[in-house]
Amino acid sequence: MDGFTISVLSNIALFSFLAISAWLLLVAGEISFGQQAYFAIGAYTSGIASAVWQWPFVFAVLLGALTGAIVAAIVARVTLRLSGLHYAIATLAFAELLRASLNVIHYQRDVDGYLTGPDGANGFRDIRWVYDAGIGAGQYLGIILAALVMVIAAIALITRARGMAVLRLVGENPTLAAMQGLSPSRVKTIAAAAAGAIAAIGGGLYAHMATYIEPAQFSVMIGVHALSYGLMGGLGTVLGPILGVFIDIGALETLRIFAGYRMIVFGGLVAVILIWRPRGLLDETLVRRWQKWLRR
Amino acid sequence: MVDLIQNTLDGLATGYAYGLLALGFTLIFGVMGRLNITFGPSIMVGVFAGAGFSQHGSGILTVLIVTIAGAVIASAYVERLSFAAIKGNAALASMASSFAISMQLEEAVAHVFPGRTYAFPSIGTLSVIDFGPFFIRAEYLAMAVVAAVLLLGVHLLLTRTFFGLELRTLSDSPEAARVSGINVARVAFLTFLLAACIGGAAGFMIAATDGQITPKFGLWATLKGLIAMVIGGLGSLRGAVIGGLVLGVVEAQSQWFLGAAGREIVVYATLFLALVLLPYGLTGRATAKTARRL
Repeated sequence: MDGFTISVLSNIALFSFLAISAWLLLVAGEISFGQQAYFAIGAYTSGIASAVWQWPFVFAVLLGALTGAIVAAIVARVTLRLSGLHYAIATLAFAELLRASLNVIHYQRDVDGYLTGPDGANGFRDIRWVYDAGIGAGQYLGIILAALVMVIAAIALITRARGMAVLRLVGENPTLAAMQGLSPSRVKTIAAAAAGAIAAIGGGLYAHMATYIEPAQFSVMIGVHALSYGLMGGLGTVLGPILGVFIDIGALETLRIFAGYRMIVFGGLVAVILIWRPRGLLDETLVRRWQKWLRR
Repeated sequence: MVDLIQNTLDGLATGYAYGLLALGFTLIFGVMGRLNITFGPSIMVGVFAGAGFSQHGSGILTVLIVTIAGAVIASAYVERLSFAAIKGNAALASMASSFAISMQLEEAVAHVFPGRTYAFPSIGTLSVIDFGPFFIRAEYLAMAVVAAVLLLGVHLLLTRTFFGLELRTLSDSPEAARVSGINVARVAFLTFLLAACIGGAAGFMIAATDGQITPKFGLWATLKGLIAMVIGGLGSLRGAVIGGLVLGVVEAQSQWFLGAAGREIVVYATLFLALVLLPYGLTGRATAKTARRL
């Protein structure tokens, strides 16, 4: 594989984490404009762990995931009594608040004679663990894909264990879920924490690939993109959001004929797909029909 | 103390523009129960069209008309593609679709106007009105007057005309509106265009005060209008204006005391806390529409 293909595939895989994160909340019946906040938390936390504290890579990424999950759970506790549009805007406010705060956070320490760490709006450079360990771009793509497969496998496992059915019930009809003895707010908090952890893993992997991160990279546009991947690809399975990422980054960014007009084509495509299929290409009905066909 | 009052004056002046943006959001949300993220980018189309005409030596009145016309045309496109075409209870699909269209509009504007920054004509000569230790820029005063006139106009339209009656019925209960023979699609479309006119006027005032525009204007206007609407309470016209004024004053004070980075933090912290502590805004109350799932 040439360098261009590797970088496109790496971007698809990294965006998939964010898209799955937003999709998980959509299944729970909540729209989040703010999953980029947990992507940023993962990127900064794991970057600090590996570059400033010199932790091993795996522990650094896991710390990022844990931090993402904890912050997401706290935010969920505070915001879940809001509904619909209010929840969506609260997540946006939180993500922008975090981004604005990263602009003023300075935490630099002396590592081997160099100042390392986040430097406010100037960003955070030299997150070099992957390069120092001699891992090439192709190998790193393998690491990202392995992590992505693990996340998808975990979701498949939960789907088998009826966890996803509970989540969908809470998303579709919280009153009915409560009547069956489920606690919608607890289910949603767990979903939000899982979504925060997934986005944070993506952020941690991204920080180590890019070696440089800055607050401006985690703007609202990223989060809303992640949301539209799930909506376009479909809410029926975890493959929906990944399909959405493939259509945007995989097809439109690599096709030269669209150069400079990518957003016009992508925007029109999303609009047309949503008129035709308001719950995305791989929606629940289609997935159910396929499952029936497979069982026959 | 002088600073505090002066900042409040400046904040109120910009707050009127935010209030007008929020008013556009509120009208659309109140009638359709759907969020139009492309509201800001549609205004941006109008503002860029206005700037383009002014480069060819058009007068300020032509620029105003072109700005509003541009916003209305862009909004009509958005309404047809993202709102009228998506039927049923699919507010989420409409919102996502309107976001997709906003990307289209931004790239289209970037193609037609390849530079980053464009000059926008000013309303008149810059002048400053002094009173005691305080001062206010004449454009700000003009902005407040225009905003007040527009608000009065919208109020009269809503309370004194048949269209206003239809709009309020639809806002209260879409089912009742349908039963009583109101052409829901037509009222929704006209409301969209009315919101675009108000937004276009707000965009013109903001651009004329700043003297320049960038492609970031679209997302910026969407965020400001959305924040002002949420602080004031969803679906409330009075709330939209109050929310805009509150946002303007909070911004002006935090900019003065904490700088630009501090202002951003304070604004988003205010929005987050306002949602958590006062979920229905300063003037709003819980309604079926605001609590409804998107």
